[in-house]
Amino acid sequence: MNLARRKVLQLIGLLGAPTAFLLVFFFGPLLIMLVYSFLTPGIYGGVDWVFSHLNYGRILGWADTRYEKFDPVFLSIFLRSLRLAALTVVTSLLVSYPAAFWISRMSPGRRDFAIFLVTLPFFVSLIVRLFAWVLILRPTGFLNQGLMGTGLTSEPIEFLYTDFAVVLGMTYVFIPFMFLPLYGSIEKLDMAQLEASADLGATRIQTFRKVILPATLPGIIGGSIITFIPALGNFIVPSVLGGAKVLMIGNLIEQQFLSARNWPFGSALAMMVMTAVLVLLVVQLRLARRGGA
Amino acid sequence: MLRRLLSLYGLLFFVFIYAPILLVVVYSFNANTMNMMVWSGFTFDWYRQIFGLPTSITDSTTYVDSSAQLYAAIRTSLTVAFSTSVFATVFGTALALAVARYRFRLAGFYRTLMMVPMIMPDIVLGIALLIFFITIGMNLSILTIIIGQSTFLISYVFVTVSARLAAFDTSVEEASADLGATPMQTFRKVTLPGIAPGILGGWLLAFIISMDDLVITYFVAGTGNTTLPIHIWGMLRRGIKPEINAIATLMLLFTVVIAGVGLYFRSRRTK
Repeated sequence: MNLARRKVLQLIGLLGAPTAFLLVFFFGPLLIMLVYSFLTPGIYGGVDWVFSHLNYGRILGWADTRYEKFDPVFLSIFLRSLRLAALTVVTSLLVSYPAAFWISRMSPGRRDFAIFLVTLPFFVSLIVRLFAWVLILRPTGFLNQGLMGTGLTSEPIEFLYTDFAVVLGMTYVFIPFMFLPLYGSIEKLDMAQLEASADLGATRIQTFRKVILPATLPGIIGGSIITFIPALGNFIVPSVLGGAKVLMIGNLIEQQFLSARNWPFGSALAMMVMTAVLVLLVVQLRLARRGGA
Repeated sequence: MLRRLLSLYGLLFFVFIYAPILLVVVYSFNANTMNMMVWSGFTFDWYRQIFGLPTSITDSTTYVDSSAQLYAAIRTSLTVAFSTSVFATVFGTALALAVARYRFRLAGFYRTLMMVPMIMPDIVLGIALLIFFITIGMNLSILTIIIGQSTFLISYVFVTVSARLAAFDTSVEEASADLGATPMQTFRKVTLPGIAPGILGGWLLAFIISMDDLVITYFVAGTGNTTLPIHIWGMLRRGIKPEINAIATLMLLFTVVIAGVGLYFRSRRTK
């Protein structure tokens, strides 16, 4: 057996089983979901194998003629998800940017430790971190106790089960996602350029806008995309902190599967989320490649 | 001035990250059974209750003892996490080795492809797997949880091991071959020890993420297979009890230890 032949066999040995596994159990399910999204829901759950375009139409508000009128309620939930995900990106950017800047100016030893501290909560159970925010935000929680204790308000304010709680929770959970790409580009900032800008008479704000911001833009875009993707389809954070009041697309998909039992419609909704995510991934890869070249 | 403001902000940033977690830990020692948000003294009772030890919690609060379910959930979680992480580590490492050490046309394609399971929103993957298992007539069980989690954990191991392989000097492997070692010997004596920290790190990462997975497990677990995160989620839905603080604190301790070990191995990679 010659060497080239042996190498090919080794390669097949390494790739074969994992590739087959992913084809069957990752791409297979996604394909079946695509098929389901074009089928008719069965009356008692499950599906009838009859083609239907209504599932996608319903998302846009077209009525399922049997028992609905035109109502873009699903579209509005999708738009709300987009809005909350975008808000999450903006707040986590505002929260992380100055912190990343601060940490990038530390001595190397302290810097590594600070980055370790920022990434550590990522490994702490998600449900535990969200539970902590329930304790803080609920009517008898710490925030309301503090506000009432200082006399700022006499009645507890309803923080929990609002858009605010959901955005706050997602920001908290996704900080490492935003922080690391940001830090990566802030760390590369050339201090000599900042000094040159100041020497040439630029104000601090001018230096920030004309030098710092353009140089760290790749990190801002990368972090934004990586934060937006999990925020858009999120379902645990709105379930725990948004309750029944703040529905996001993820909750809607869950309902179609576990209570409404309309699998084709749920599949169509999931396809929409997946498409949005894949488009963003392609954009991200393109930008990263251009940035690297 | 600006520098001072920035430092002050930085400290606030860390308070924001750690205060909520710290709060849970502190209040897990709160003796107040009526209102868990009001501090009324130090106690180990919530921990004693978890471990089934006698406590001084009065019956007026009538907490249903759910220790048995908690233990079952922990057992399921550990079984799933161990199986999944080992499985994902074997497959992820094999893929990483193939892509890094062999020249073939699809190598670049694989590298991009392995990103997809990591960024796929978990709710999409969760329902896709549910439809799939039901359609092919596979009963939902621990096995379907393990399969479901493996689909995306393979990618995490792949990325971790690939990073280690990229940093690993191929000339050492070439030297080994030049000195007459067979490919198998080179792999066992040179490559494998070289990338071992990456494999171990990938395994730990997969273990932690598996222990914490909520969404995929929620859809493919079926009835009767409750993992720890799902158990806690259920407790939260039924109403908040001080006991959750103590469970959360123990979980925190567990993950921080494992994450600490994992991050230690990752930092060794770069040195």
